[in-house]
Amino acid sequence: MKTRTITQSLAWLHTWGGLIFGWLLFAIFLTGTLAVFDKEIDSWMRPEIPAHTLKPSEAAQRALDYLHAQQPNASAWNIGLPTERSPGLTVSSGEQRRGGGVNLDPQTGAPLDVRETAGGGFFFRFHFTLDLPRNIGIWVVGLAAMGMLVALISGIVIHKKFFKDFFTFRPAKGQRSWLDAHNATGVLVLPFHLMITYTGLVIFYLTYMPAAMDALFDGDRVAASGALRETPGEQRTEHNHAPGKQDIATAGQRRDGQTPGRGESRRPASQPAPLAAIEPLLSEAERIMGPISGLSIQNPGRSDARIEARPLLGNRIELTKGASMVFDGVTGKVLRQPAQSRPSLLTQKVMSGLHFAQFGGYPMRWLYFVCGLASCAMLATGMLLFTVKRRRRHDSEGALGAVMYHAAERINVAVVAGLMLACIALLWANRLLPLQWAQRGEWEVRVFFLVWLASLGHAIVRPWLAAWREQLGLAVLMCAGLPLLNLFFVNRGEPLFLEITSVMIGALLARAGWQLGQPARQRPAQRKPAKTMEQH
Amino acid sequence: MNLVLMAGLLLAYTGMLGLCLGLERYYKQLKQPAPAPVVLRALRCAGWMALVASYACCVQAWGTAMGSVAWFGNLSLAALALVFMLPYTPRLLVLLAGTSWVVLGIAAIG
Repeated sequence: MKTRTITQSLAWLHTWGGLIFGWLLFAIFLTGTLAVFDKEIDSWMRPEIPAHTLKPSEAAQRALDYLHAQQPNASAWNIGLPTERSPGLTVSSGEQRRGGGVNLDPQTGAPLDVRETAGGGFFFRFHFTLDLPRNIGIWVVGLAAMGMLVALISGIVIHKKFFKDFFTFRPAKGQRSWLDAHNATGVLVLPFHLMITYTGLVIFYLTYMPAAMDALFDGDRVAASGALRETPGEQRTEHNHAPGKQDIATAGQRRDGQTPGRGESRRPASQPAPLAAIEPLLSEAERIMGPISGLSIQNPGRSDARIEARPLLGNRIELTKGASMVFDGVTGKVLRQPAQSRPSLLTQKVMSGLHFAQFGGYPMRWLYFVCGLASCAMLATGMLLFTVKRRRRHDSEGALGAVMYHAAERINVAVVAGLMLACIALLWANRLLPLQWAQRGEWEVRVFFLVWLASLGHAIVRPWLAAWREQLGLAVLMCAGLPLLNLFFVNRGEPLFLEITSVMIGALLARAGWQLGQPARQRPAQRKPAKTMEQH
Repeated sequence: MNLVLMAGLLLAYTGMLGLCLGLERYYKQLKQPAPAPVVLRALRCAGWMALVASYACCVQAWGTAMGSVAWFGNLSLAALALVFMLPYTPRLLVLLAGTSWVVLGIAAIG
């Protein structure tokens, strides 16, 4: 057997590793990119919630009035405040649950009838679990992330003209152009690729590397994360954290291993007492932690009431999930300041913060979004390149080789074009499915997977290039046509940015689809995209 | 604040443009007569300086930690726009850099 150079071996690794993991990675990166704007997508998918310009304290007062009237004897109240990113005001009572509660109209304080929907959170969950059972999904995604790191490093090594071709893109040259596009999106956005992949792995470090936790805490994750959180000087007298808002790394378990709230509400010493005014309390919390995303009130209307304010993520890179400050609910005195992380935990939190991109406001969010799109483009061009390149020579590699390349071609279409189609179909389903359907939110997800499955079927029965063009064409129409839904359905929110973005993405896809038809067949390719371009 | 943000992005773009046109093979795409080596050198120097200035703007607008993240993002964004427009409209790229500085200047005064 011939000996191969290291470059050749790495090229082989990059090609095949890239192909196999690329399918998974494209799904992870595309939904991750969309998840950058998960709240905005979520607002778009709940068009009953009106846009408004109320101050947080005014909205909080509306919520308190509602809870006073409806749930005066509840052991706890929870309020989700409107933020810069989402106008919704939610209230619930008792133990806080994720996604539960009543939506209120922030202007009138009346309950709103909001449609059941999978929401923008679907993209977020899919991004790290692939809609598989949670821990399996996290492991699969982690494996794919390792594959991505391998592909990135091997890609850097085998790229012969890293700096020489730094600014090179030669369009309309077939395979050459796809390689240039792959290299450009890979090299120019390399810091982002490396950062986002590595920090993605760091988020679930306790899941991937449980050895230390097993040795020191007998695998008790709750105890481990509790010990991590504990700062040397912190007072641990207050234990009434709101449950439900868990740290993502400690998934599924409660932070302190105890049930907060229970028992406290029946303390004999507690007397009825009015709640402190919310306005000064909120402004104090804002002064220390920045914008506030939610309030939990234990024992409202009693003398031992506690008000916990949670900050909106994003005043610093560190992911401050789980941070909060606690006030006395009657006097309004500060009982507990937000804790400072110690260096080891801070490192992990800064890294996951880098991944979650909750800092820096909208400009930073757009940077992440565009870089994420570039990552998707790199993955998609890489997969395309595989088939474009092999198309020329697979005839000489025997029957089995031919079958494999055919399969890879089909799967590429279903993964790249089909997933984009499925994502935009989810938004369409949100408007088109009947409002009164039971389990409507689950049906939206079903539409997502059915469309994806249908795209695979379509890719199998149609010729390769036709499958690409038809699926991309449909995706273009659906992206560009998204604003048309406003003609038929009322949206009380602020849909402008999402819809402009959708139309822009449609235009980009049209451009890519047109380019795709170019090299193989010069003339017929020009007619079809001309049609799709006219649509917007 | 927003002006500094925009300036950071524009400087990143201008810097990348300078680095790009400072190489002969890309400069040729402007369809100008072949440049003197000193011109290319000046373009590259100006490019690096603009990138450093862009970093300063990012730090000014976001603080050191976030500014560093934003700077890398700006570099990627600027370079991507540059690379994918260069083969189609090389002159427009230069024009774009020029006009956006004028617009930013007007915005700063107004």
